[in-house]
Amino acid sequence: MTTESLMTKPESAARVAPSVLTGIGAFTAVGLYVLVSSASLGLWTSLGPGPGLFPFAMGGVLVSMSALWLVQELRRPSAAAEGIDRGVVISVVVSLVVLALLMDLLGFQLSMFLFLLYHLKLRGQRTWLSSLIIALAGSVGAFYAFNYGLNVALPVSAFTPLNLIGF
Amino acid sequence: MDTLNELLGGFAAAMTWQNLIFAFLGCLLGTIIGVLPGVGPVAGVALLIPLTLNLDPTGSIIMLCAIFYGTQYGGTITSVLLNTPGEASSAITTIDGYAMTKLGRAGAALTLAAVGSFVGGTVATIGLVAAAKPLGELGLLVGPPEFFALMVVGISLLVALAGKSMVKALISGALGLLISMVGIDPVAGAPRFTFGMDRLLDGVSFVAVIVGVFGLSEILSYRKNSKTPLVHAPGMRSLLPSRTEWRRSAPAMARGTGVGFGLGLIPGMTGSVSSLLSYAAEKKFSRFRNELGKGAVEGVAGPETANNAHANAALIPLFTLGIPASPTIAVLMGAFLQQGLTPGPALFTEHSDIAWAIIASLFIGNVLLLLLNVPLVGLWTSILRVPTPILTALILLFMVIGAYTINFDVFDVFVMIGFGLLGLALRNLDIPLAPMVLTLVLGPLMERSLRESLEISQGDFSIFTSRPISAVLIGLGVLIICSPLLKVRKPKALTEDPEA
Repeated sequence: MTTESLMTKPESAARVAPSVLTGIGAFTAVGLYVLVSSASLGLWTSLGPGPGLFPFAMGGVLVSMSALWLVQELRRPSAAAEGIDRGVVISVVVSLVVLALLMDLLGFQLSMFLFLLYHLKLRGQRTWLSSLIIALAGSVGAFYAFNYGLNVALPVSAFTPLNLIGF
Repeated sequence: MDTLNELLGGFAAAMTWQNLIFAFLGCLLGTIIGVLPGVGPVAGVALLIPLTLNLDPTGSIIMLCAIFYGTQYGGTITSVLLNTPGEASSAITTIDGYAMTKLGRAGAALTLAAVGSFVGGTVATIGLVAAAKPLGELGLLVGPPEFFALMVVGISLLVALAGKSMVKALISGALGLLISMVGIDPVAGAPRFTFGMDRLLDGVSFVAVIVGVFGLSEILSYRKNSKTPLVHAPGMRSLLPSRTEWRRSAPAMARGTGVGFGLGLIPGMTGSVSSLLSYAAEKKFSRFRNELGKGAVEGVAGPETANNAHANAALIPLFTLGIPASPTIAVLMGAFLQQGLTPGPALFTEHSDIAWAIIASLFIGNVLLLLLNVPLVGLWTSILRVPTPILTALILLFMVIGAYTINFDVFDVFVMIGFGLLGLALRNLDIPLAPMVLTLVLGPLMERSLRESLEISQGDFSIFTSRPISAVLIGLGVLIICSPLLKVRKPKALTEDPEA
């Protein structure tokens, strides 16, 4: 992830990138968890293979491949990835989580309107007019198009007052 | 004669006005997805599955298939006009396509690409018609051990061919299988990996996972200062290729059809490999090979024909054996399963009318795309002028609706967010996503056939080696997985495959 790891030569002095080590650690941990929990599900029953057999095998694949990957990285560390734009990741993920939390409470139309306005006006710096038009079309417009056009019901507000005024 | 009658019946069913509208809408949406550089065919098809949930199975699958091959047509437009491939399988087209644009022949390049796509797609569909009956009948002889072995071969091919490292591809494949196992175990009824959550008893929603891993992660990896490209649509008059251009394209299209059709049948081969190898074939066999790279029509017609022939040929193993050959086909298979249709030999015996209507619609869709694609090029390029923040907001809107409407539950939106982050991590670690989608869809079928086989043999694993077909297939799978140990080197086109 760092410029340092990009500049160092592979083979000799190079070190495994921290993000790669974290990844290998995470896959090993998931694999170990799967091995333990699938063993407790029962690998074999009197009728044949138990519910734990297939996941157990996959846990084994995950652990052994993570170990192999570590060996490969120690021998020849891979070039560091390009990295991510943390600002984009945080704003998109947080806004989606807030939207998901509010959708049942405020209803699809209101929560999606706010979500779109945030992405268009605050993040995208579009004009007020275009932001409002697109946000309205994407929230109220989509709600009616899906409800009446495609027969797909999007959520309405759990609050009676909001519900009464059409949200 | 039987096949022809059934195909004609299929045409009658596909030509109803509702199904024609579904095919038309699918072609339209597919082209838009193809044109948009951010959304690939896998996420695009998954994203639009919810739109089709309330349709009848035939209409729904017709629309999704049209979306699927529509993306192949659409991907070309940005390759030629902008030097940016809309889809990975059109990446190689940028070389000569964009060079042609600079020479003022963009219109001709787009027309030849569309005609090539039509030729490739139609020939591959004829192949599907011819292969459906015999392969389907062969497929009916396959029991659980053979089916399991067939899936092992399919997955090992994909794992071996995906990305640069087989270790990483295996991790991706194992993750997909594990995700598919969340929920009630199909045989003993025991809950697995549900973490005490009732919502997980039915498993993790397949659409939410795919939309997260392929779509959301793509948006999360956007960079802030990406600019809206400047693009000019070619005028109507320049769309007609010259007589020489037609003459030079014809052999390239024929070679492209051969390459794409052959590779489309092999699980694990992506459309990108077909277009790359078709370009390589042009470099070797074309009379005008010296002009390649400087705006030669062969460099557009060949690869574009190949990726469409590939896309349609890849439906053959799905329809006849129930094996998806690529990630997009795996998503399509997921849509089949959601509609209660199991692709494979049984499809032709149990739902023969639906199967033939879908096949007939493939012919219709290819004609529609040929008619839609070139004359409307002005409309497609105008989509590209939409500023990135607006596109991102609208794509996110569709993702949320798509994830929510699967079970009408906000929980699936959270699932999508979680898998979006996982997808981003996998992309950053250079772990290929393709094996994960395939095992995610095949996981339950694979586990069922493994357990059924072991129940038949009363727990004896030798059932896989004592039956000739499964023994050969399992041997093949082991050989493929062990190929790195045998120092078998992958062709260059495969290690550079951008789709893997």
